[in-house]
Amino acid sequence: MLELGPMLRALMRNKIGALLIALQIALTLTIMVNAIFMMQERNRQMARASGVDEQNTFYLSNTVFGENYPLQSNLARDLDQIRKTPGVVAATQINAIPLSGGGWSMGLQTKPGDDVDGTGTAVYFVDTQGITALGVELLAGENFSESDISWRERTSNKWPPKIIITQKLAEKLFDGDWKKALGQTVYINNHDPMQVTGIVKSLQSPWNGWDNTEHASLVPSQLENKGSRLFIRTEPGRRDALMPQIEKMLADSDKQRIIRNVKTMTETRAESYREHQATNNILLTVIIVLTLITGFGIVGLAMFSINRRTRQIGTRRALGASQWQIMRFFMLENLLISSLGVVLGIGGAIGLNIWLVSTFAMTPLTPGLLLVGCAALLLVGQLAVSYPALIAARISPATATRGRA
Amino acid sequence: MLSMKNISKSFATDNVVTHALRDIKLDLSEGDFVSVIGPSGSGKTTFLNIAGLLESSTSGEYWLDGEDISKLDDKGRSRMRNQKIGFIFQSFNLIPDLNLFDNVDVPLRYRGFNAAERKKRIEYHLDQVGLASRMKHLPSQLSGGQQQRVAIARALATSPRFLLADEPTGNLDSSMAQSVMSLLEDINANGTTILMVTHDNGLAARAKRQIFIKDGQAQELMQGHHHNIHNLAAV
Ligand SMILES: Nc1ncnc2c1ncn2[C@@H]1O[C@H](COP(=O)(O)OP(=O)(O)O)[C@@H](O)[C@H]1O
Ligand SMILES: [Mg+2]
Repeated sequence: MLELGPMLRALMRNKIGALLIALQIALTLTIMVNAIFMMQERNRQMARASGVDEQNTFYLSNTVFGENYPLQSNLARDLDQIRKTPGVVAATQINAIPLSGGGWSMGLQTKPGDDVDGTGTAVYFVDTQGITALGVELLAGENFSESDISWRERTSNKWPPKIIITQKLAEKLFDGDWKKALGQTVYINNHDPMQVTGIVKSLQSPWNGWDNTEHASLVPSQLENKGSRLFIRTEPGRRDALMPQIEKMLADSDKQRIIRNVKTMTETRAESYREHQATNNILLTVIIVLTLITGFGIVGLAMFSINRRTRQIGTRRALGASQWQIMRFFMLENLLISSLGVVLGIGGAIGLNIWLVSTFAMTPLTPGLLLVGCAALLLVGQLAVSYPALIAARISPATATRGRA
Repeated sequence: MLSMKNISKSFATDNVVTHALRDIKLDLSEGDFVSVIGPSGSGKTTFLNIAGLLESSTSGEYWLDGEDISKLDDKGRSRMRNQKIGFIFQSFNLIPDLNLFDNVDVPLRYRGFNAAERKKRIEYHLDQVGLASRMKHLPSQLSGGQQQRVAIARALATSPRFLLADEPTGNLDSSMAQSVMSLLEDINANGTTILMVTHDNGLAARAKRQIFIKDGQAQELMQGHHHNIHNLAAV
């Protein structure tokens, strides 16, 4: 026979301890569910593809210090050497690296004019091997040809006539229909026309937290800079061997520059999301610690109430309760307290989530996650109370007649 | 209905072994009213606990209502306590968080009766002890005598064949003790077998049989010959 009625009435006469534990469970649920929700949000961000073949790409900085250094011809020579190296798939000079945190952004608009609203985009200057070196997928249009590539000085404000943009950027500019973008003219710097000659599936900007991080453009220019970056893609599995080899080759071939910061895209991704990962680890720790504290709180309250009720437990045993019935009594009592806590916690979790969503513009919590949180805490309650309940079940029926030992 | 042979009980604590009971032999028949007297620490409660299946003997044989107790597991013993035995304790042992109704309800729920049956029994037995009007009261709102009457109602609610009482009047003043004793006599008159531990010789003398326990050994006092002690084994 379940004894819910009398149990509830008895609990009502000893509210404080039970209420405190219920509140602790409510608070745990509130924080747990929202912390998991924030972790999921971050995991979702981290799971987004950069569009780059991250496993097989790396890049390096080339810093020239020699005077009267022939930047143009030596860049051509360097790229030629790299491309001829066995195992290299493609190489390009590039101005910025996806996910790296530093780069260029510009506004693009579909009509010229100072007052026209534009859309932000990251800008990558690449040559004909840009698409292959990054490993991005060309959905429509065509790659740049040799004749499209122009030299760009450091201070230049001129733009070449062609541009390749990402599908997301195309959708944003052309009312959600990226196919319409091909062949269209877009305007950079408010007035300078560029024709969309290609659309790539995805390529992320250098900034992982930017609203427009899926907006990127490839521009066919080579930079005539003393500092530049070379981006290299290798055949699968050959990246790690080729990195030092190419670094040494470049360094040895020309003593008027330094090769530095040789780095893989894999490392870049890890660095880019280091804060995300750290925050998630902290949130996970908070959840675990909070759950442990709640679990131990439940153990403590149960031990206390079992000690207080030793005589009562002995009496119940004398009146015919089996060990299992005593155990079930305390498990059920915990279930009642935990249920109250969970009900309060659902309110708290939704309240906190509404605040988070409205303050940080996040997507709202799913009911599924909330249910999983409730189930998890009810389970924690039952697990935590099972040991004290076992101790209660072992109290001898003789306790009923023996004095308080 | 009850038969004990060579029941012994010893407690081992920190190198000291206490022989609480030695070679107890006892037979009770249906309708008996036996009082157990003896000095403090002589083993009365231990004897009652073993008789009531609250603890097991160290050795010996115990049959209750045709069942060999040594063959029962905890669940079987619990069921036996619930169905065949009623308990009355010196300090009443009402559950302080439960009102009188819920207190009497405790063994009935373990018994598995349905709600209507339980309600009928609770009301009947509380009425029998004159406390039907106070069903919603907490034990703490009653006098000691009233609490013991609730405990008696609780003990009887499952209609046990066998009632065990460990100093049921020990915490009551003499007039309350008298009324509880009369209640027990009525219960016995209705056919319930009673085993009652007491230190009150006057009350003990009102039982049909008296057993004297000293140093863990039991002897039956022959009725009317209080100074003529026979060894139980000879009875
Ligand atoms: N759980 C126990 N552990 C050790 N000794 C016990 C225990 N219970 C009772 N005793 C001892 O057994 C003897 C008989 O005790 P008890 O049956 O309570 O006596 P009575 O009820 O006659 O006063 C006493 O010496 C007591 O100290
Ligand atoms: Mg005693």
